[in-house]
Amino acid sequence: MLSPLVVDAPFEWHYIRSIIRVSLYVSLTAVVLSTLFSLPIALVLGFTEFRGKTLLTSLINTGMGFPSVVVGLIVLFALSNDGPLGSWDLVFTPEAMIISQFVLAAPVITGVSLAAVGGVEQNVRDAAYAMGGTTVDVALVTIKEARYGIATAVLAGFGRAISEVGSVLIVGGNIAGSDGTSVTRTLTTAIQLEARQGRFETAMLLGAILVVLVLLVNAIVVRLGNGGGRYR
Amino acid sequence: MTLEAIDVHHGYGNETVFDGVSLSVPPGEIVAIIGPSGVGKSTLLRLLALFDAPDQGSIAYDSEDVWELPDQRRLEHRRRIGMVFQEASLFDASVRRNVEYGLRVRQSWPDRIRHELSRLIGTANGTHSAIDAIETVGLGDRIDQDATSLSGGEAQRVAFARALAYEPDVLLLDEPTSDLDPRNTAEIEAAIREAKQRDIGVAIATHDMHQAKRIADSVAVLLETDIIEVGETEAIFETPTDDRTRKFIQGELIY
Amino acid sequence: MQTYFPSAPDVVSMAIQRRPLLAAIGSGVAVGLSGCAALGADGGSGPESSGETVTLATTTSTYDTGLLDALNAPFEERYGVTVNTISDGTGAAIETGRRGDSDVVIVHARSQEDALIESGDAINRRDLMVNDYVILGPSDDPAGIAGDDDAVAAFEAIVDSESTFVSRGDNSGTHTRERDIWEAAGLETAEFGGWYRDAGQGMGAVIVQADRTDGYTLADRGTARSMATETDLEVHVDGPIDGGPALLANPYGIAAVNPAVHDSVHYDLAMAYIGFVTGTDGQAIIEDYTVEGTQLFVPAALTEDPEFGQYVPETWDGSDGDE
Repeated sequence: MLSPLVVDAPFEWHYIRSIIRVSLYVSLTAVVLSTLFSLPIALVLGFTEFRGKTLLTSLINTGMGFPSVVVGLIVLFALSNDGPLGSWDLVFTPEAMIISQFVLAAPVITGVSLAAVGGVEQNVRDAAYAMGGTTVDVALVTIKEARYGIATAVLAGFGRAISEVGSVLIVGGNIAGSDGTSVTRTLTTAIQLEARQGRFETAMLLGAILVVLVLLVNAIVVRLGNGGGRYR
Repeated sequence: MTLEAIDVHHGYGNETVFDGVSLSVPPGEIVAIIGPSGVGKSTLLRLLALFDAPDQGSIAYDSEDVWELPDQRRLEHRRRIGMVFQEASLFDASVRRNVEYGLRVRQSWPDRIRHELSRLIGTANGTHSAIDAIETVGLGDRIDQDATSLSGGEAQRVAFARALAYEPDVLLLDEPTSDLDPRNTAEIEAAIREAKQRDIGVAIATHDMHQAKRIADSVAVLLETDIIEVGETEAIFETPTDDRTRKFIQGELIY
Repeated sequence: MQTYFPSAPDVVSMAIQRRPLLAAIGSGVAVGLSGCAALGADGGSGPESSGETVTLATTTSTYDTGLLDALNAPFEERYGVTVNTISDGTGAAIETGRRGDSDVVIVHARSQEDALIESGDAINRRDLMVNDYVILGPSDDPAGIAGDDDAVAAFEAIVDSESTFVSRGDNSGTHTRERDIWEAAGLETAEFGGWYRDAGQGMGAVIVQADRTDGYTLADRGTARSMATETDLEVHVDGPIDGGPALLANPYGIAAVNPAVHDSVHYDLAMAYIGFVTGTDGQAIIEDYTVEGTQLFVPAALTEDPEFGQYVPETWDGSDGDE
């Protein structure tokens, strides 16, 4: 019996590449959309008063820990051909996975951004306004001042998205073609498949790839944050 | 180019702050607003800076009631006003980025984006008026320094340059040198005089009577809910008409 | 094993060969089903796929044997249609068909297949192939069941010896069969001691667990064979393919989701798929499919003598549903 590493080494690289591609496509898209959605909400929540604000904040906090399988089920039944959004024809597609990961990541990104944005002093916002900034300008200043916290929020959202398996398994179906091209198979669902077949070394290898991927994304975001200081 | 508060009534909750306050900030004149802590000097300046509309009365720019105007026109007026607060509250960026901010927001969005892109690839030029502003406060050599690494006094001077950079018609200063040492105070006061030279109208809230005597052309005394007296600096300090004024000044001048 | 890991056939090209579609389908469909399979392919003007997909819902144990990849690749090549295979538990596969989220269903749980036909959600059910179950256990065989030809007796021996037994516990076809055997023995799993473990997982994971706890388990031959090299378990009671008791037979059915009930299903593509796998080529692939040198499935679709029972629910009394 060959050692695990040698047995796993002649992996079909095509298979791994397609899984990584699907994982990144789904999670990165979900996080980008989620950030565009969450930041304005965090800004509104942080700086305006309205009825129902406490309720909304509680919802966000609850949403941060919402079980991914449940989200997956809800999205599946919504997108099912028999369901209300069946006409969208999205069941068992990467786009359905993006939707469910959007739902999972948004509360995280909103909640952590809210904390970051809340830390920006009103004096700084007033200064921007006094210099002739519009509401949008002041919002942009707030985001810039809170950028490190917001980056943390986005990374947290990305981490939640790319490492979850429950919802993408349910709405995506873990589909890979007979030639090894992934359609809706991600690193996490591939790990789950290998593990259920008892191929734990392969599962661990895929897990290592996933960890490296997350580290890479983290490193890039942090680098962008520090590197941006060059032309301040 | 005169900014005025006309018969302003304003309050928070049940509390009345102003009961018919009027103040004028003509170009080229330095008006000091004096009064006890908490009387509403900051509030008055904020109303003049168009942060909020007064409950009653008007804020007028060149005799136009600003709050009766459409949003875009009011924004244009707001952009003729500069304000410096007691705390510098600089952005977490370079001195240059801070000082150029006012100019940046006045650009159209395509221009702004274009400028950001050229900045990223390193081909952006400094703006003339921004450089001029930072030199007016004597910090021209610090222009590329990280704003968060400045001392309190230097930061406040940059805050002053920020307001000056877009060449406003009016400068509103809310206790700008309260936290500063004499050297930095002197720099700021020199910059204020420079602004006056450029025909900018200046309103400065201060609890420092000596400062008021040093730089102000006229003084407005804000006591309780009214400006009870306005007059030339010398007149107010030497021969105040109102008894309350005299009491206040004497009380303040002990220190 | 998955065909894209070592020892797999080469990556299949997606070239469509130029042949009349109706003839191809006709040769695959054994019973006179009137599927007009207009696939919408471009008539084979080049090695282009039509971009259409047919969705197949099946069980993890079926998928994990790798058989479906061996079937799907030639189907895709011939018809230029991509097969999206979704594998989950038996119940989930049935439900997916019931919702109309798949076009074809392949499971090995006749009672659940029948329910799907009776509700009208599936039509055109065919026998596809047969597998069987085996009883796996530790090499030292503490319950002494090796070589038994009576599944019920073997299970009773396991209970008597209180040897560890790992159950699927997930309402799968395998779990259903296991429950049937307990029922035939007149035993209640609720009354078992801690030696009976409810895993609630797929076949592969359950076999691994049985291996690690030196326990017995009921497994389908396919998964058992494909995991033989990964564990130390042995086959103590064989299935009917190798002469064992009939109670361990595991028949697979295939059915199309009813387009009258779910109008978004690709019925024509589903029938082409069913036609292919139940036809000569597909059945040959099934017969030839081996893992670790062992044949896993026996094809069951092509019979000279009619097998009417495969088209209707097992309990059908000849009536026509309602009305």
